[in-house]
Amino acid sequence: MPIAPYRHRLAMRAAAVGLLAAIVAGCGTSVSTILATVGPETTPMRVGLGYIPSVQFAPFYLAQQAGYYADAGLEVTFENGNDADIIRLTGSGDYDIGIADGTSLIPAVSQGIPVRYLATLYADFPSIVFAKPGAGITTAADLEGKKLGMPGKFGSSWVMLQALLSSVGLTPADLEIVEFPDFGQRVAVEEGIVDAATGFINNEPIQLARSGTAPIVLAVDEVVPLPGPGLISGQSTIDGPKREAVRAFVAATLRAMADIAADPMRGVEAAEVAVPELAADREGQLAVLEATVGAWQSPYTEANGLGAIDSGAWTESIDFMRAMPESPVAEPVTADQIIEQELLP
Amino acid sequence: MSAQQGRHRRRWSSALALVVGAAIVLVAWQAAIVVGGYEPYLLPGPLEVGGRFVTGWTDGTIAPHALTTLQEVVLGFLVGAALGVPTGVLLARSRIAAQVLSPYIVAAQSMPILALAPLIALWFGTGLLSKVVICGLIVFFPVAVSTMVGVRSVDPRLIEMARAFRATRNQLIRQIELPAALPAILGGMRVGATLAVVGAIVGEWAGADRGLGVLVNLARGSLFDTPLMFAALLTIAILGVALYLVVVAIERRLVADRS
Repeated sequence: MPIAPYRHRLAMRAAAVGLLAAIVAGCGTSVSTILATVGPETTPMRVGLGYIPSVQFAPFYLAQQAGYYADAGLEVTFENGNDADIIRLTGSGDYDIGIADGTSLIPAVSQGIPVRYLATLYADFPSIVFAKPGAGITTAADLEGKKLGMPGKFGSSWVMLQALLSSVGLTPADLEIVEFPDFGQRVAVEEGIVDAATGFINNEPIQLARSGTAPIVLAVDEVVPLPGPGLISGQSTIDGPKREAVRAFVAATLRAMADIAADPMRGVEAAEVAVPELAADREGQLAVLEATVGAWQSPYTEANGLGAIDSGAWTESIDFMRAMPESPVAEPVTADQIIEQELLP
Repeated sequence: MSAQQGRHRRRWSSALALVVGAAIVLVAWQAAIVVGGYEPYLLPGPLEVGGRFVTGWTDGTIAPHALTTLQEVVLGFLVGAALGVPTGVLLARSRIAAQVLSPYIVAAQSMPILALAPLIALWFGTGLLSKVVICGLIVFFPVAVSTMVGVRSVDPRLIEMARAFRATRNQLIRQIELPAALPAILGGMRVGATLAVVGAIVGEWAGADRGLGVLVNLARGSLFDTPLMFAALLTIAILGVALYLVVVAIERRLVADRS
């Protein structure tokens, strides 16, 4: 009979503690000294953030620096990784918490990865289509026959584009898609190589606006309310001894989000402490964070509070993704299998 | 025991060694899963991967991607080899060419293809051409170097003899140096054949619609179908081994003919 992963990890940890104890004993220091230093009530939490440290993760940096996590008895360490790895490692329990896009979570759960969506970070879907004014694009219908740049036909941008086009009876075949795997689509729009491109509400439009050209932005939220990035945790984690720690982490993070929504500069300062390189362009970071704060909020979160999960919107999104040509959702899945509302404050 | 019986026995021994080797790998793989307690979405077992490999081929998921990669690899290999052999001869026979070109060739080879691939995709587009360029670049170096080494190690007495018979420069290269250097050149091509597969996958990761590298990425990041990702990796491995064996077969044929 295979050893259950959790039991195996416990055995490994016990062995590691034993080894540590032996080393410490050899050094003449008692294990109790180490435990006293860490604090008996502290719960260690490994958290998987997005690929690159950035101002977009300001709530986590602020909650750490302001002591919100420590006050809740959490000892939090952040690790950066990509969406797919974070989902797998959170499902396996290696990460206690992760950030993942809702459109990635739906196929992941359909493949049996035991992860749950705990709180909404981006209430507005951050992936958008943008175009320079004068490109003749003001609505999704105007994309017909146009050249559109995107990193590739996968991920949240691909799902968003199909949702946007389907709302006006178009498909990706009705436009010319030019791939920019190095994410150079903003330059391509600026240079007129493509008419429009996919991007993120808190990235390319901000950069274009700062260079003097406020772009036209086509968002998908009015068409299909796709679930944006949010906090996730593994089923074994939320069913295990860390359930209350996870609840405390969610509450502390949402508290920091509310602080930043009220005063974005607090978030910029926290991000600069965590990632000193960001201080080189404080104005730019503030612009990015203000756009990010805008995406945290929607009519639903205004009515139900930051972090609230709109289960109806999830069901709509699942139905849409299941109906997509070459759907990434392998097996039927329901919103109840993905979202976990009970850990919200 | 007759010679035929001896050959028969050697074949059986080779086949048995292959089967035993494969069995050891599969058992070790399954043991790693049991001992490590890995879930299928982290490390699927050999049976699961085998099943997904079969369904991936029968339902048409893998075949179009494999054909695209095969096309890129073959064209890239041919371009790299076609440029590598004359360059190797030039480097072996011209001191000035060696002095001028060697630093650039070595420097180009030192650059990680992973870093160059996105630039190549930017310059040549994300279609077939960029993959052929990447494969060609990665194949060029081992073929050029092995050709250079092979030509330089040709027995000088052979060359003296050909010159005594008033062989022209072209005759010397085509009839003495290249045939004598053939084992070394084909050795470089063996390495190039496997590297060409790596080049195609790296090129597809830098941007592509189709190919086994794309399928690996899709299975990993969009579909979360880990067994399919392993099935695609298995197909890549089979492709590399098959190309290597083709070069070995050509080598055996040419060297045997020469003997």
